[in-house]
Amino acid sequence: MKEPLKQLYNYYIIDRTHRSLRFACNIDFSAEFSAQKLSPEERMCRRFERVTALEIPRILPEEKIVLTRSVSNVGDIFTKEEWDEIRAAHYIHESGYVSNLSPDYEGMIRDGFEARYEDATPYQRRMMDAITNLCDRYSAEAKNMGREDIVRVFDRIPRKGATNFREALQFFRVLHFSLWLEGDYHNTVGRFDQYIYPYYKKDRDAGVYTKEEAFDLLCDFFLSFNKDSDMYFGQQQGDNGQSMVLGGIDENGNDCYNELSELCLKASGELCLIDPKINLRVNKNTPLEIFEEGSRLTKLGLGFPQYSNDDVVIPGLEKMGYSHADAANYVVAACWEFIIPGVGDDIANVGALNLPLMVDRAIRSHAAASSDFDAFFETVKSEIVSECDRIAEKIHDVWFVPSPFMDLLRKDRKYRNFGVHGCGVSSASDALAAVKKYVFDEKTLTVDHLIESMDKNFKNDPALLHQLRYETPKMGCEGGELAAEMSVKLLGAFSDALKGRTNCLGGIWRAGTGTAMFYLWHAAELGATADGRLKGEPLGTNFSPVLFAKTEGPVTVIDHFSAADMERTLNGGPLTLEFASGIFKEDDSIRKLAMLIKYFIERRGHQLQLNAVNPEKMKDAQKDPDRYRQLVVRIWGWSAYFVELDKPFQDHVIARQEYTL
Amino acid sequence: MQGLIFDIKEFSTNDGDGVRTTVFFKGCPLRCIWCHNPEGLSPNPELYERTEGCLDCGLCRAPCAHEECRTFGRCLHVCPKNLVRPVGRYYDVDTLAARLLRQKSFFDSMGGGITLSGGEPLLQADFCEALLTRLSGQLHLAIETCGYAAHEDFVRVVSRCDLVMMDLKLMDPNTHRTYTGVGNEQILANAKWLKTSGIPHLFRTPLIPDITDTEENLRAIANFVGTDRIELLPYNTLAAAKYAAVHRTFTDRIDPEHAHPIDLSFFQNAVLRK
Repeated sequence: MKEPLKQLYNYYIIDRTHRSLRFACNIDFSAEFSAQKLSPEERMCRRFERVTALEIPRILPEEKIVLTRSVSNVGDIFTKEEWDEIRAAHYIHESGYVSNLSPDYEGMIRDGFEARYEDATPYQRRMMDAITNLCDRYSAEAKNMGREDIVRVFDRIPRKGATNFREALQFFRVLHFSLWLEGDYHNTVGRFDQYIYPYYKKDRDAGVYTKEEAFDLLCDFFLSFNKDSDMYFGQQQGDNGQSMVLGGIDENGNDCYNELSELCLKASGELCLIDPKINLRVNKNTPLEIFEEGSRLTKLGLGFPQYSNDDVVIPGLEKMGYSHADAANYVVAACWEFIIPGVGDDIANVGALNLPLMVDRAIRSHAAASSDFDAFFETVKSEIVSECDRIAEKIHDVWFVPSPFMDLLRKDRKYRNFGVHGCGVSSASDALAAVKKYVFDEKTLTVDHLIESMDKNFKNDPALLHQLRYETPKMGCEGGELAAEMSVKLLGAFSDALKGRTNCLGGIWRAGTGTAMFYLWHAAELGATADGRLKGEPLGTNFSPVLFAKTEGPVTVIDHFSAADMERTLNGGPLTLEFASGIFKEDDSIRKLAMLIKYFIERRGHQLQLNAVNPEKMKDAQKDPDRYRQLVVRIWGWSAYFVELDKPFQDHVIARQEYTL
Repeated sequence: MQGLIFDIKEFSTNDGDGVRTTVFFKGCPLRCIWCHNPEGLSPNPELYERTEGCLDCGLCRAPCAHEECRTFGRCLHVCPKNLVRPVGRYYDVDTLAARLLRQKSFFDSMGGGITLSGGEPLLQADFCEALLTRLSGQLHLAIETCGYAAHEDFVRVVSRCDLVMMDLKLMDPNTHRTYTGVGNEQILANAKWLKTSGIPHLFRTPLIPDITDTEENLRAIANFVGTDRIELLPYNTLAAAKYAAVHRTFTDRIDPEHAHPIDLSFFQNAVLRK
């Protein structure tokens, strides 16, 4: 890391000095607004104006991309009583504020505020004025410091559209800052390497920057995602939705990966920070070198890039009714849901289906009366349909807090589709495989005994537990083809159950393979399950083998998790493979990992996440080995499952990891 | 005809070219004191019993009716933690070939292939030959061997491989006998043949502190291999716990502190692995 960047890094990331300079905003907005009976729009606008006015410009001597929050807390615009009233009348998604959208940064960075003024609502004008005023104060501060470079940037933006790379980056920062300040959350970054590229290319062609100088500026910019992120709403720290999408094809099928995409990957590796979260769009023709660049990032243990397969996602979105041009422009929402920048208004995470619970209900209600497995599976299907009915019925009269500023970055609301996570795919598929094999094919297990054993958490029959848990076909494991076949049926049933439904906003329903935090929540709704999972054990994260599976290895896992036609269950949710960072020690491991990813893409898998696992996780694995069955560690010339190693091995690997990292 | 296999590992990245699936043959004629795969030594199925996480529930010690559990005196099908397992499973050629060919499309597009390792594959030369013949022309085939085998067995098996990775541990026959339990005459004879066979090959030397990593031994190895490629593999101290799982005693006479600095300049074509 070079000196000016290192200074910024130390200030914002190591010392976090800026956080100690923040001050609280003690205005009780909700009480004040409620007393004045203000409209929601007026409240959003007024809060934005007031907080923006309180913001104090601070610029570090080394800093090029500016705008850092100084107000630490911003109160709600509604009182608790008002919220109760709103919630009684409407379906409120999560916090009620707009989230998980990919704003049209491209258009605004190109046009500037003035060009939008005429068509803007009065609220939007006031908000643009407020943020312009803050930019002017930054400019004045810059002038005092003798920073003419910053002054020149604000002479242009945000009033007018950006004309060069630096203005475009600063304009993005202004917009992103404003969205968070407005109260919107999980504000994604979208196809940054596409909409910023024209500015980048112009400056590079004109010789304004060398590639290295452009890289330095980009690093400065990347740091800005981490300045205020501790204040961004999420389930956990880091769950903030700052997803950046790189590469991919355009609507004519041309590969869009460019020099800026490459620099973004490098900048992420240089800073080693969790934001922005990098997503790579790839396809079967993507050169191996790009997967290698991605793998270098994976090696750092950040858990990205996450890969999305254009060959599957684009036709899948088209089949759901997205236009070809929009589908080709897809990005991911906060995590992995596929959405369209600027025109999408989907609620990609409106609900979640507990798939193991559907299988469990079918076992209890109809397995004994079913003549064969196919008849039994019909009851699984109808359980899924009934549950989808219940999910769909709950969601009507959806209402969001108005978001005038976000609306400036929306071209249209073409897609108002709802996404439903499919949680526990592997657990449910493995359970189906067990039922098919033992109850219907081999007839060695009666339904009554299975139910009794699940109810007793297998205390009554440890041999059955062992058999179901360790000796029965499982996705990712030896002989798991039967379970993979079950996943095809199960995902097909899930997709069919949502197909043809219209949601309350007139959109469709999309089935997916993500879990979010439901892998814990749904597990709590389950007793022991027919795949040998004990009561209380969590489900796998997203689309991955059950936690206690001893998989054959990543190739078999990929084979089984790409068995289904993923175009049909395309709300998003990646296959997750975890590797210990030690596996990257070999010189050619990057290339080999790249090949594995390419194989996944060729097999028409839809989405893939790879983790290089760190020592902290290994220590967790020691305490709770069943949750980390897939964790692979490299010893030297051989690999092992971490939890299968005895403690001295484990301790050694941990010690060595700490040493090498 | 059946082969006894103790593990199949996918995505092995250090057992030959490209991404490979490694098949571990059970049984080895050597007893290297540094062996890191003690479960590969015995040519018979055995019990692999871990203690970490044992609930002491006693379920595995209760009598059971399974035929396959009888020889072990323990039930293999009841442990709630899967800590009591057999190691070593018999495959016929067709079953193993089918398992390996399942990923042919992966190897075809990504490079790589199958590596026979162990234990010592040549201890099951007939099965190796049959398996390699069955897979010939379909997958890239490599073997990792200690080279301790009758010359005729060595030739008929390695001739069917696309790559041979052969160990050269110690050049002095007496020292070789002391640390591996057997002399090296047969090994060196096979290695000499391999050098002129025209079969793609490389040699490997595990760097065992004060035993194989001495200047005298490495110079002798360098002399022997000449311009052939050789990989030097650093020692790792992790074997002891695995020994206990297969009810063996690890006689640790190796002190990592005594590792010699490695001078690659003895060699004409060597790599030091990490």
